[in-house]
Amino acid sequence: MFKKILVANRGEIAVRIIKACRELGIRAVAVYSEADRAGRHVQVADEAVPIGPPPATESYLDMDRIVAAVRATGAEAVHPGYGFLAENAAFARRLAREGIVFIGPNPDALELVGDKLRARSAMERAGIPIIPGMKSAAGEAQDTAAAAKRIGFPVMIKASAGGGGKGMRIAFAEEDLGPALEAGRREAKAAFGDDSVYLEKFIEDPRHVEFQVLADNRGNIVHLYERECSIQRRHQKIVEETPSVFLDSELRRKMGETAREVLRVSGYNNAGTVEFLLDRDRNFYFLEVNARIQVEHPVTELTTGVDLVHQQIRIASGEPLGLTQDALEQRGHALECRIYAEDPANNFLPSSGKILAYREPSGPGVRVDGGVYDGWQVPVYYDPILAKLIVWAETRELARARMINALRDYVILGISTSVQFLRDVISHPRFRDGDTTTGFVKKYFEGWKEEKPGPEVQTLALAAAALGGFDRPQRALPGGGREEAGASPWLSLGNWRIGGKS
Amino acid sequence: MEFEFLLDGTLQVISLEKKDGRLVIRRGETILEADVETLSGGTILFLVGGRSFLAHLGRDENRILVSIGGERVALQPPDREGRRPERGEEAGQRGISLVRAPMPGRVIKLSVAEGESVRKNQTLAIVEAMKMENEIKSPHEAKVRKIFVASSSIPTGRSSSLNPS
Repeated sequence: MFKKILVANRGEIAVRIIKACRELGIRAVAVYSEADRAGRHVQVADEAVPIGPPPATESYLDMDRIVAAVRATGAEAVHPGYGFLAENAAFARRLAREGIVFIGPNPDALELVGDKLRARSAMERAGIPIIPGMKSAAGEAQDTAAAAKRIGFPVMIKASAGGGGKGMRIAFAEEDLGPALEAGRREAKAAFGDDSVYLEKFIEDPRHVEFQVLADNRGNIVHLYERECSIQRRHQKIVEETPSVFLDSELRRKMGETAREVLRVSGYNNAGTVEFLLDRDRNFYFLEVNARIQVEHPVTELTTGVDLVHQQIRIASGEPLGLTQDALEQRGHALECRIYAEDPANNFLPSSGKILAYREPSGPGVRVDGGVYDGWQVPVYYDPILAKLIVWAETRELARARMINALRDYVILGISTSVQFLRDVISHPRFRDGDTTTGFVKKYFEGWKEEKPGPEVQTLALAAAALGGFDRPQRALPGGGREEAGASPWLSLGNWRIGGKS
Repeated sequence: MEFEFLLDGTLQVISLEKKDGRLVIRRGETILEADVETLSGGTILFLVGGRSFLAHLGRDENRILVSIGGERVALQPPDREGRRPERGEEAGQRGISLVRAPMPGRVIKLSVAEGESVRKNQTLAIVEAMKMENEIKSPHEAKVRKIFVASSSIPTGRSSSLNPS
């Protein structure tokens, strides 16, 4: 087993991986950009190394700096988390050349599944169902328009190099195609450094169901069941759950076996996720392999009892998989809500700034994978995820109730977040009924506004502000400090102590 | 003792007074009697007729934010000079308005030119922030008077982008 691992990431996922390292008795090294000097992941690490200025290209995406940090600290392995260098085959190769273990799949498998078009062809040859569409990257506008007509509108434009919703656009008719291609290419270029895109048939109102898979370095492959990730905005997931209400045991078995087959075909090792789309008639299509630990991995952990990050580390260190397919079971129901710094009432625009108050929910069956704290300045440079709230309960209905309560208890003040929006999503009768398709947010939450508190809560809020001494504008003090809130005129009224007996 | 705050741009006056170890809160017609515990600088517990309300507070230069039972209230400290920040929409009805990016980011495309007429909700620019592209739309039918930024890779502040009038 490794003695020291460098975590080449930031935020909640870096915190989660660092904790896993420490649980296994491994020292954890954090890296940080100038914007993350006071980051949560830096606080919880055993060691921390600065790797450059705030822009990701000059820090978290800079292979030279990451490798230099590995050398400087003597780490034996790198865990890339998700995003940044996680699915970068060149990075995995570079580490291999330098004798450093990459905690993820081998570079050949990464390359294959990272090229969406090659992966599609490979899967099609192996008899795995794929979405009808182009077999090569879109070229001249004319040819692309012809291809779109052959496939039949609406068509989906997708980046060949990536996923995560980046570069994804829908063209409902021929006149949408030009602008959609342009936007898709530009976003793909910015996200992956490669602007090639391709078209496939747009499946209307599908469900997004993915399977978690683990493969060791000796060819043992197991799946850890599905995650339903249909609640999305901007083609990005915001709510995930397992089990999916849409699968029966036969479909679950079939999809699970297909997921294992996808990994076999790809020559894949370590943790991965096979994404499928399910249409209304329960036909499933291979979408892509996410060759990394997924944001939503905790729901699988809570229902199978397997720590996926521990597994990743064990597999990378050469251990055989200690799990067999027959022994893996789903127990109970888990839900995850992604807590983003964004404004759901304003087209989910990202929000940045200082967190002025922060309190995480807790209690039985409640897990928070967080990366922020009270006073943290949320930087503008990175993905706006702040934390993930995950709950487990015996049934979906209890998990839903638990989630609604936990969201109610989640306090984040100072920046816009998705907390209130998510509470309304989880409370929605259509969500309760399991009517979760990728069109859910658009269908039921277009024009959503946060409900205004009633007069009683407003009055108490005003009283709280007054008691907190917040009725005067904050003044800068000589010497650069700020007048402390709390010097309340109310408190200075006399020998009165709030809540006291006097 | 009276306190003043702005709530949604409206001046709110509340009065607090102690009576038999309790806090009496008056706001217009509303009168609440509460047992109060300050748990820390930023957390205050109210018990109103036995019902529990836990308030979390946060503040910065121009906002006081309060969260009670998952509901949020944004207040502003009263402005001594009685000035109010001008809102884009209100100004727009007067014939001029400044369109700002809602967050700092990089202008990756300007879709209009100075002097051009634009429809309501027409895309004026595309700004990238936190790895996502965001369309900046015109709040009303207007003519672009002045553009304050250039399409470039230079990060913008919270400031300007276009000026339909």
